Amino acid sequence: MFTKSRMLLSVSLIVMTSLILAACRSSVPTQNSIPSAEPLNEPTGVAVPDIDINKSVTIVIAEDPPSFNPMVADSGYDALVMELVMLGMTDVDPNGNVFAELAAELPSAENGSVILSDDESTMSVTWKMREDVQWQDGTPVTADDVLFTWNAISDPTNGSWIPGSDYIESVEKVDTYSFTVNYNTIYPGYLTQFGGEQVAIWPAHYCDAEQGFVTWDCGREPLSNGPFVLQEWVEGDHMTFVKNQNFYLAGKPEVEQVIVRIVPDDAVRKTMMMNGDADIDMWINVNTINDLKDNPTAKVSLSPTDRWVMRLFMNEAAKGTTDPAATPHPILSDVNVRKAIRMAVDVDTINSQIFYGLANPVWTEFFRPPYVCDVPRPEFDPEAAKALLEESGWTDSDGDGIRECNGCTTAEPGYKMEMEFITYAEYGEPLELTQQLIAEMLGEIGIQMNISVVEGSVLWDLAENGGIEQSGNFDIDLWDDGYAGVDPTDYVWEAYSEEAMEPNGGWNFFRWDNPVVDALIDEAYTLEEATRKDTFCAIADFINEEVPIIHLFTIPNAEAYSARLEGVQSSVNDLVTWNIADWKIK
Amino acid sequence: MLSVAKQIFLLATYIIRRIIQTIGLLFLLSIILFALVNIAPGGPLSAYGGKRIRPERIELIKRQFGLDQPLPVQYVYWLAGNDWMQVDSDGDGIKDSPGSRKGILRGDFGFSYRTRQPVLEEIGSRLPNTITLMGITMIVALVIAIPIGIFSAIKQYSVFDFFATTFSFAGQAIPEFWLGLLLILIFYAWLKNPVTGEPLLPPGGMYSLESGFSLADRISHLVLPVLTGALGWIAWYSRFLRSSLLDILPQNYLRSARARGLSERRVIYKHALSNAMIPIVTLLALDLPYIFTGAVLIETIFAWPGMGRLYYQAAVERDYPLLMAVLIIGAAFIILSNLLADILYAYLDPRVRYE
Repeated sequence: MFTKSRMLLSVSLIVMTSLILAACRSSVPTQNSIPSAEPLNEPTGVAVPDIDINKSVTIVIAEDPPSFNPMVADSGYDALVMELVMLGMTDVDPNGNVFAELAAELPSAENGSVILSDDESTMSVTWKMREDVQWQDGTPVTADDVLFTWNAISDPTNGSWIPGSDYIESVEKVDTYSFTVNYNTIYPGYLTQFGGEQVAIWPAHYCDAEQGFVTWDCGREPLSNGPFVLQEWVEGDHMTFVKNQNFYLAGKPEVEQVIVRIVPDDAVRKTMMMNGDADIDMWINVNTINDLKDNPTAKVSLSPTDRWVMRLFMNEAAKGTTDPAATPHPILSDVNVRKAIRMAVDVDTINSQIFYGLANPVWTEFFRPPYVCDVPRPEFDPEAAKALLEESGWTDSDGDGIRECNGCTTAEPGYKMEMEFITYAEYGEPLELTQQLIAEMLGEIGIQMNISVVEGSVLWDLAENGGIEQSGNFDIDLWDDGYAGVDPTDYVWEAYSEEAMEPNGGWNFFRWDNPVVDALIDEAYTLEEATRKDTFCAIADFINEEVPIIHLFTIPNAEAYSARLEGVQSSVNDLVTWNIADWKIK
Repeated sequence: MLSVAKQIFLLATYIIRRIIQTIGLLFLLSIILFALVNIAPGGPLSAYGGKRIRPERIELIKRQFGLDQPLPVQYVYWLAGNDWMQVDSDGDGIKDSPGSRKGILRGDFGFSYRTRQPVLEEIGSRLPNTITLMGITMIVALVIAIPIGIFSAIKQYSVFDFFATTFSFAGQAIPEFWLGLLLILIFYAWLKNPVTGEPLLPPGGMYSLESGFSLADRISHLVLPVLTGALGWIAWYSRFLRSSLLDILPQNYLRSARARGLSERRVIYKHALSNAMIPIVTLLALDLPYIFTGAVLIETIFAWPGMGRLYYQAAVERDYPLLMAVLIIGAAFIILSNLLADILYAYLDPRVRYE
C-alpha cells in the first residue's frame, strides 16, 4: 500500500509540476505575426517603433473579432478593428455626412462623376482615388485593389454580399487611380458601397484570391493602409496594434499603440474603466452610462444620432399564417386596435423607470438626418384607447378584465383579446422589463399579453427552420431595429414592401400590405434628394396612419472613454474607432 | 492470486474491449448530437449577420456552409467529407467540382462559421489555457479539500468540523459568477498594493501585457480564477471525504488495527484513508473532463481564453462545426475518464477484478 501511495504521490507531483510549467511557459502564446507573405511581398514598415507607454490606448471588448472583414460575420468587433488597419473609399461621420477616405473626392452628378442613362433607369459612377496612400509595405493603393476587391466579393463560390451588390453591372478600371462602377438601376446608396463601416479595399498583391473573400488569410492577418498595423493577436486575450509609419496623413495618429483586450463581462469592463486600466469600453448599456455619469476617470460619449429604435411589430396575419388577406389576424388586423395599443403605451414611463431617462422617444422611421419627417407624436391616453376599443366592438362582457369581441369585425363573437408577446433574450434585463411594463399597460386597457422571451436565433431564423417571425408564428414582437448609414431605401423596401412579406423574402414579417407604399418605395430609388425626402415622409405618414409598427424610443449608442483621451466620439454610423487617427492624449 | 502476466493480460483485454465500445458509443453519440444540434430551434443563419440578412446572402452562406444539403447528407459530409464526390460550388445547380471537406474521420472537423478558421485550430489555441487553469484549480482544490475532509472526520463535531461543514455548505451554495465579481471588487477595485499603489490583483487575463514574462505575474493572474473555481470543489471533495471516512472509521478492521498496537496516525492514513479514497477517485474521474472542457462562468468573468467560452459562444451563435467538435471531444474525454476510473478502481480496490 505504501508503494501505491508513493505512486499516486509521484503522479500527482508530475501532473502538478507540468501544469505549473505550462502556466509559466515563457513563450508568448499563439501569435498571428505580421503577415509574412509568400509568394506575396514581404511587408515593410512593420518595424515596431519605440512605444511611448503614455500614448498607448487600451480598448476592452466582449469577444474576439471573427476577422478584420466585417462581411464575414458582421459582429461589430470586426468593424472596430478594421477601422484601425483598413480604409474604404468613404466613411460616414456621426452626423451622417459621408467623407472621403481613399477617394480623392465624392462623386456626384454636379462634378460629372455620376452619369445617368438617357432614360434615367441606370447610372455609372466614376471614382478618383488619392494617389498618396500606401499599404504598409510601401505598395501604392490603386484601382487594381478596388477591382480585385470587387471580383473577390462577387465570386459566386467564395464571395459575399454587400449592400447594393446586385445593382452592379460591372466595375471597370479607368486608369491607375480611377475606376467606374456601372449600375443596372439607380442606386442612391452608391457613396458608401465601397466604404462605410463594413467594406474595405483589400490589397491585390497580398491577398490570395484563390482562398476566397471570406476565408482568405489576409482577413485575419491584414496588410494595413490605415493608421495602425497589427502586431500580435492572441485569440481570446488581446490584440496589439502599433502606429503605421506609412500612414498617409502626416503626423497622425498621435496614439502610438492600441491594445484591444477581450474582457467578456461588462461589469469587469466597467470596473477596469473606473480603475483607469481601460481607455475605451465599446457599446456600453444604460446601466453603465448611468453609473459613469459622475466618474472622474471614465467619461461617456453619446452618438449625436441614434439608429436602433425599440418597436412593437404587430402581425396583421393570423398567428401561424403569412397571408393577411386570406387569414387576417383576429385582433390586430383592425387598425383601431393597433392605434389603441399605441395610445396605451407610456414611453416616457418606460424611459424613466427602466432607461434612466437616457432613451429618446421616437415615433417615426424617419427621425434622423438627412431624412427627418414631421410626424406628430402620438399621445399617451389610455382612456381614449379604451374608448377606441369599445367603438371597435371589443368590450369586457364577463368582467374578467379581458375584453372580448362583441361586435368587432375581425373575430368571432366572444373571442378574447389575448395575445402572445415575444422579445429576444440577448438584449438583457432592460428589454425584458420593458416587455413586462408594456404588458401591464396593455392589461390596463383590457388586452391580456402573455409574455415570452426567446433567443434571437429562434426569433429571426428562416421560415423552414421554424423562425418565429418569418413563419408568422407570433402576435406582437418587441425588439430594436433601424437602418444603417444614411440611405434608408433598401431598408424601407425590405421592411415595408409587399414583396418582403414572403417568408424569407424580407422583413415585412408583420405583413403590412399597402400598394401605395409599394409605389412610393419604387419612387425612392432616385438621386433627386427632394423627391426622396418627400417620398420617405409620405411613407412615414402612411405608417403613422395605419400603425403596422409602433416606434417607441431609441437606445443611446454610447462608449465609455478615459478622461485622458480627446476626440473620442461615439457614432451610430460607425464604430468608435472611426476617427482614431484624430484622437489626442492629454 | 492471479499472476502479474495474467493480470496485465486481463487489463489489456478489458481496455481494448472498452475502447471498441467507446468507438461505437461515440459514433452513436455523434448521430444523436448532430441531430440535436441541427434540429434545435434557431440556426447559424439567423445569428449570422445580426437581425437582418438578405435572401441573396442567405443562399450564398447556405451553400458555403453546406446547409443547402439535407441533414443526413450534411452528417455524411461532416463524418466522411465530400472530397470524393462532385458538388455544386457556385449555386448554378450543376455539380462542377470536387468538394473540399475530408470529414472528422480524417481529422477534418471543418471550419468555424464565425471565423471561417479550421475548428481544430480554434480549439488548439484554447485548450492549453483551459488545461492550465482547470488543472491547477483541481490540484489546489484537492490539496486543500483532502486535509479538511480528514480532520473534519477525525474531529467530528469539533469547532473545526463545524466551520468546515459550514464552509462546505457555503462553498457549494455560492454562485461562481457572484463570487468571482466579488473577488474582483475586493482584490482589484478596493485593495491596493501598499508599495506601488496598483491594484492588489489583476481583474483577469492570463498575464500582463505591459511587462515581459514573470512567474509572479502569471501566478497573480491565476489567484482569483483558481480561488473562485476551487471553492466549490473544495467544499464538494472535503464533504465527501469526511462522510466516506466517517463510514469507515467505526469498522472492525480498524478496531483490530488499533488493538494490534498500530498508531492512530497509521490507522487513519494507511488503513482508513486508502479505502475512503476509493469513491473520491470516482468523483475525480468524473470531474476530470472539466480540465478539458473548461468552466464558462469563470472564463467569462476572468477573461480567460479557454474552452468554456469557446463552447458557449459556439452554442449561442449556432456555430455547428465548432459546437460539434467541442461536444464530441468533450464526450470522448468523459468516456475515457470513466474508463480511467474503472481501471483505477481495480488498482485501488483488490476486490475489483476484470475477469
